[in-house]
Amino acid sequence: MMWLSGGFIFRRGTSVYHRLDPRVKLLISSLMFVTTLLVRSLYELAMVIAFMVAVAAVATVLRRVARTMALTFIFSTVIFVLNLIVTKNLETSALYAVRFVAIVVSTSLFFITTSPDELEQVMKTFRLPRDVVFAFVTAVRFIPVMMLDTLQIMDAQKSRGLELEKGNIIRRVRNMIPVLIPLVVNSVVRSGELAEAMESRAYGAVRRPTSLVEYKASWADKVVAFAAVAIFVLTAYSFYFVLPTTVL
Amino acid sequence: MIEFQDVSFVHQNGVIALDRVSVKIEAGETVAIVGENGAGKTTLVKHVTGLLKPSTGSVLVDGIDTRASSTAALSRKVGVAFQNPDHQLFSESVEEEMAFALRNFGFTAELVENRVSWGLRLFGLEEYRKSSPLVLSGGEKKRLTLACIMAWDPDVVILDEPTVGQDAIQKEKLTGTIRMLGSTGKTVIVVSHDIEFLWPIQPRVVVMKEGRILGDGPASRLMQERELLSSARVAQPQLVAFYQALDPRPKDPFVDPLEARRWVAGRAEIT
Ligand SMILES: Nc1ncnc2c1ncn2[C@@H]1O[C@H](COP(=O)(O)OP(=O)(O)OP(=O)(O)O)[C@@H](O)[C@H]1O
Ligand SMILES: [Mg+2]
Repeated sequence: MMWLSGGFIFRRGTSVYHRLDPRVKLLISSLMFVTTLLVRSLYELAMVIAFMVAVAAVATVLRRVARTMALTFIFSTVIFVLNLIVTKNLETSALYAVRFVAIVVSTSLFFITTSPDELEQVMKTFRLPRDVVFAFVTAVRFIPVMMLDTLQIMDAQKSRGLELEKGNIIRRVRNMIPVLIPLVVNSVVRSGELAEAMESRAYGAVRRPTSLVEYKASWADKVVAFAAVAIFVLTAYSFYFVLPTTVL
Repeated sequence: MIEFQDVSFVHQNGVIALDRVSVKIEAGETVAIVGENGAGKTTLVKHVTGLLKPSTGSVLVDGIDTRASSTAALSRKVGVAFQNPDHQLFSESVEEEMAFALRNFGFTAELVENRVSWGLRLFGLEEYRKSSPLVLSGGEKKRLTLACIMAWDPDVVILDEPTVGQDAIQKEKLTGTIRMLGSTGKTVIVVSHDIEFLWPIQPRVVVMKEGRILGDGPASRLMQERELLSSARVAQPQLVAFYQALDPRPKDPFVDPLEARRWVAGRAEIT
């Protein structure tokens, strides 16, 4: 479980990509996302994925992106089979299946390199209400905490003789109860405590609180953003006007 | 008997939590594991029930390698009460909570009833028998987790920070319980930062720091090694500090204040 979830959870990193302004990272991921939608043949898609892999390499998160791909593999298999049944076209089905992987990778690239703090910053630039931003960012931030909780609860129950891997499916689901209840209870208690702690530190006392860190795009960020847009435009142009196309 | 043979354990993130630990705990021993936060105490304890398997080296419980056994099987022999009670309480009532493990181990209904009543009495929780474990106070929850472990009568009892949130009376009772376990031949392993609590029990003390064992020996000797203790960020029991400040002094440090008072009174008579 820990192994698979690694595909979406932020971990601190020091690569050039990690240090980009979060808004630029969002821009890059969005453009990659849109590009996968523009793709009209498998080899174009292969180029897009190769580009994503290159970005992942720069961000030194290749292994984790590989995990993301592994995670999406089941879903894309389903997509492939369903499409094959409906369209009876091998290439179209493959395209849809692989496109799904590409979409997930482009999103995951953003999330695994962007800290909750940066996420907050990005959301603020879109002028979302502060409470919404706070709730979202807190939820993201607590995912790893809850996973750690889950592991510790499983440890505690296993040492009281609970066998999670035993029995038929119904038995296994029932065996999860001793794990799920403490997990949910802890989360509820924790959110209550968090609310109290926040209020006792004057959350919401002023309309426009100041920030400890003001993010400012550096010239390097601007260059990268410009390059990203340029690459996007070139790619889109070549997809439609230069490269030969197999019709969908 | 529990034996760690040159055990190292590395977490997924590369943290070395145990570093070539070798230690042997005989049946019937009472052992205290002390050391700074993050020293690897909980990690050590998790190896005894096979929740964690050593990266290198091996852990033997009664001669059986933990790698060859499941946690469920090992726990019948080794009961661990973990640090955080919120990580295990889930039942509708306190008695159900205690019965959970007993049912997992296949105890008969009658035996379950007997053991649950016994445990509730031992830990002063009878009045909460039917209430939800989630509404108990922090200290009561902690005590319930201890009762849950003792209920199935494991040969080895491991308590991770048992005194957290306990008032003075409960701590004293816990001291009594640990002594009782020791005298009935159980192996007891207590992980604690509460040195004053451990001292009257006079356990064998294992001092840990950064995943290694710095010192191992009887409390009366180890608690006198001030440098060792301070390098592992362990406090010295007040009675031992007092004892070391005396000159002349008796052969061994005082175990309780009464003993100290008797000795001081005896000296006064002589001079
Ligand atoms: N799940 C985990 N993943 C990564 N590292 C961990 C994990 N659990 C513990 N550690 C690390 O392993 C080391 C030993 O942790 P451990 O919990 O054994 O310490 P401890 O001696 O019990 O400390 P405390 O007195 O605070 O309970 C610490 O450095 C800790 O950060
Ligand atoms: Mg611990």
